Amino acid sequence: MFEKGNSTARAVYLASAAALLFLSVTAQSAPVAPAAKPPNKHAAVPAETAGSADFSHIKSLGGIDEYRLDGNGLTVLLVPDHSAPVVTFEVTYQVGSRNEVTGTTGATHILEHLMFKGSDAFNDVKGNSIKQMLERVGGQFNATTSFDRTNYFATIGRENLESYIAIEADRMRHLWLHESDRQAEMTVVRNEYERGKNDPENVLLEEVMEAAYVALPYHHPTIGWKSDIEHVPIAKLREFYDTFYWPNNAVVTVVGDIDSDSVLGLIKKYYGVYPRSPAPIPAVYTEEPAQSGERRVVVKRPGELGTIIVAHKVPNGRDADQAALEMLDAILSSGKNGRLYRTLVDQGLALSAGAGIDLLHDLSLHTLYAALTPGTSHEQVENALVAELNKIKTNGVTPAEVATVKQQFTAEDAYKRDGTAAVASELSEWIGVGDWTLYVTFPQKVQQVSPADVQRVAKQYFGADQSTVGWFVPVAPKTEKGS
Amino acid sequence: MIRLSLMMMSLLTASGTAAAAMADLAHRSRPAGIDLITYHSNVKDVVIVLGVLPAGDAMAEAGNIAIPTLSGMMLDRGTKALDKFAISDKLDNVGAEIGFQVGEQSLEIRAKCLKKDLPLIIETIAAELRTPALLAGEFNKAKQQFVGELQASAQNSGALASEAFGRAVFPQGHPNRPHTLKEYIAAAKSASLEELKAFQAKYNGPAHMTMVIAGDVSDADAQSEIGKAFSGWLGGQDYLRPAKPAVAAAAAEFTVPLADKPSVTMLLGQASGLRYSDADSLPLRLGTAILGRGFTGRLMGTVRDKEGLTYNIGASMGDDSIADGVWEISASFAPALLNKGVESTRREVAKWWKDGVTEQELAVRKQGVIGSYYVSLSTTLGLAETILVNTQRGYDLGWLDGYPKALKAVTRDEVDAAIKAHINPNTMVLVEAGSVPAAAK
Repeated sequence: MFEKGNSTARAVYLASAAALLFLSVTAQSAPVAPAAKPPNKHAAVPAETAGSADFSHIKSLGGIDEYRLDGNGLTVLLVPDHSAPVVTFEVTYQVGSRNEVTGTTGATHILEHLMFKGSDAFNDVKGNSIKQMLERVGGQFNATTSFDRTNYFATIGRENLESYIAIEADRMRHLWLHESDRQAEMTVVRNEYERGKNDPENVLLEEVMEAAYVALPYHHPTIGWKSDIEHVPIAKLREFYDTFYWPNNAVVTVVGDIDSDSVLGLIKKYYGVYPRSPAPIPAVYTEEPAQSGERRVVVKRPGELGTIIVAHKVPNGRDADQAALEMLDAILSSGKNGRLYRTLVDQGLALSAGAGIDLLHDLSLHTLYAALTPGTSHEQVENALVAELNKIKTNGVTPAEVATVKQQFTAEDAYKRDGTAAVASELSEWIGVGDWTLYVTFPQKVQQVSPADVQRVAKQYFGADQSTVGWFVPVAPKTEKGS
Repeated sequence: MIRLSLMMMSLLTASGTAAAAMADLAHRSRPAGIDLITYHSNVKDVVIVLGVLPAGDAMAEAGNIAIPTLSGMMLDRGTKALDKFAISDKLDNVGAEIGFQVGEQSLEIRAKCLKKDLPLIIETIAAELRTPALLAGEFNKAKQQFVGELQASAQNSGALASEAFGRAVFPQGHPNRPHTLKEYIAAAKSASLEELKAFQAKYNGPAHMTMVIAGDVSDADAQSEIGKAFSGWLGGQDYLRPAKPAVAAAAAEFTVPLADKPSVTMLLGQASGLRYSDADSLPLRLGTAILGRGFTGRLMGTVRDKEGLTYNIGASMGDDSIADGVWEISASFAPALLNKGVESTRREVAKWWKDGVTEQELAVRKQGVIGSYYVSLSTTLGLAETILVNTQRGYDLGWLDGYPKALKAVTRDEVDAAIKAHINPNTMVLVEAGSVPAAAK
């Protein structure tokens, strides 16, 4: 509702241009956790009580319990944390801009906005709309749309949980979708689009993705094309809503000061009234064709300093090689000892530089990034970025570098436990990628990475013919019309 | 650990009956002359360290205006004992982080580490503050970095709008009055290491420094580490507190034309003339929240929700922890909707000023602000930030509990009176930055 269409991780990455692109999602080491268990209806862990009676216990991992509501397939993740009397409740719909086609680009995001316009039981007219309720109790709430998922969330005092669940559940199937609301919200979303266009680095990233992906819907920005934002009919949005907003396409995550049994009872009470979707949720079957040569993008706009992105497509976010790629990125861009800092920033070639991966459900995108210092040429910095990749391909990385990154992941695992909202947010990203258990297991996988693994993935994925290179080239502004 | 949880439950659910417990869990002491506050929270194994001392931009006064920022930038570039890579090695090897940032009046320190690494973190912060290497080569790199970052801001509509607005509402010599980007760039280019060393000698000291250490930490350990690491350190200056607050300027409109910026940043407002701790500040903050905080604020309800003119609009008060601050409305508009957006904003401000707020609005907003306050305290970082800013604003630890009580006590008459006394819709400053169409002016 209040963010740009692109994922937060990307925005953070480009803004800081430092550490790992997906650090906030992936940079944790794992707690010792029991192995995942197969689905087991009414399993004994945790103990079956009245609230859990209508749920199947699927598995428990790293302090997270997964349930499935038997009647409609709603997935529930519970993460009890009694350190403070607050709760974060988040519902993640497994629909994002990857589910859009020409003419409906941006529909997922517009729908996310319209989800705040009221539902049958909760709306401004009645004085009990979601924003009225949550702001009355001081909740921290929002919604975001990314390529692979849409989420709605609030952090509130635990005594307000039922009120929020009731509203969130009502708008899953009883949302108002009025043309008058679409018209008013269209210009709001268009302003969000325009704000994004104010930032040349954001524009460059969008154009790099447009070039890197030919067939996959990651080709278009999550916020959509301007013409689609302006003209998508309310009927199409209704069709989108009726296709994807069903319990069997959603994951409810509850983190905080909860009694699991009571919370399951509330979820059953408010979400259990819905059936499964009448039709199967449509799968995206498009595959990206092989890339057969370097692609280049140049964005020329008024500005002061240049920017470079060197991107490569890498496997989906669930792939086993992602841990080694994460390690590689940390070695390149973590702190003053990161290789990119030493060779670009410390040498005066770049104001900032980084490397990272926007982990996606399908082919993900790995990027190297640098913001040029005044007077430095794009060629010089591009060559320096590529040279760092080539050094890893040729010489690998050192055991000491790998060991340091593992220590950083261990510390991150402790840091991420401070606060319920961060846990829920990270889980939502992994749900979008397609496997929430990676929240627990991905850091464990990073702990297993060897220097040889890092060199292998560098050789495998960073060929010049597989790259998409983007330059933002600042040009002198034309004379403005304003006074 | 259980104690905090139970205490917060009481606060969240009902009243301030358990309130005294919150301040009781914090400890304040003065090891090595530093104002230290510790708070043991429920988080396991994590420690947050925040600090501030008066060494911000405003302290440049008549000297080189780039020096305070460059001084902050030099702190993590090596000490007399270790170069920057060796320091980074030590921190990276335990996943700890230390950062320095320079604000209007403060040099800010932010760090986090595991419990076992607190001695390392405190020792490193102390060495960086007390014995920075200040090498000429690193100074030149910092200057290049700073100039580059300033140049990058030259196309940022938000930064340029803030600069124009701040210069319009605050008089010469006021600590909240910003210099221009051009002035900063020229100053950064001409800055010398000698100036920087003199600045650090004058301002970097414990006399007015505050540190907050929160998380899985004992007060005794924190005091001991600070006492050891900062023992014998002297100096430091107080914050700048203008004798008289800025008065609202005459109405004025400024345009900052920028090419190819399809979203125009708009700022509308004035100097508030108030510090956070002034009696009228809290009532005016509540009134301002009714006008423009969150999705149920009047501005979002009308200008965004009903009229569809903007993605974001809000009203706020700020920059008033130490000196008197600002009251402003911030929004973005497409160039074609700019005039209509400004008109709608002014209409809502005028209505709010003329008619005041309703009892129901005030009751709902008080409840929301108090709820939000407690939610913000549920993370160790949020807790530490709140304690630190309260201290900067001049409150003692009792304000942790006193704040919600003070909010509850505010009346509608006080809100309306504060609006009338301190806000004047007829003398506000309007700034528009971006691709403003000629017809808009």
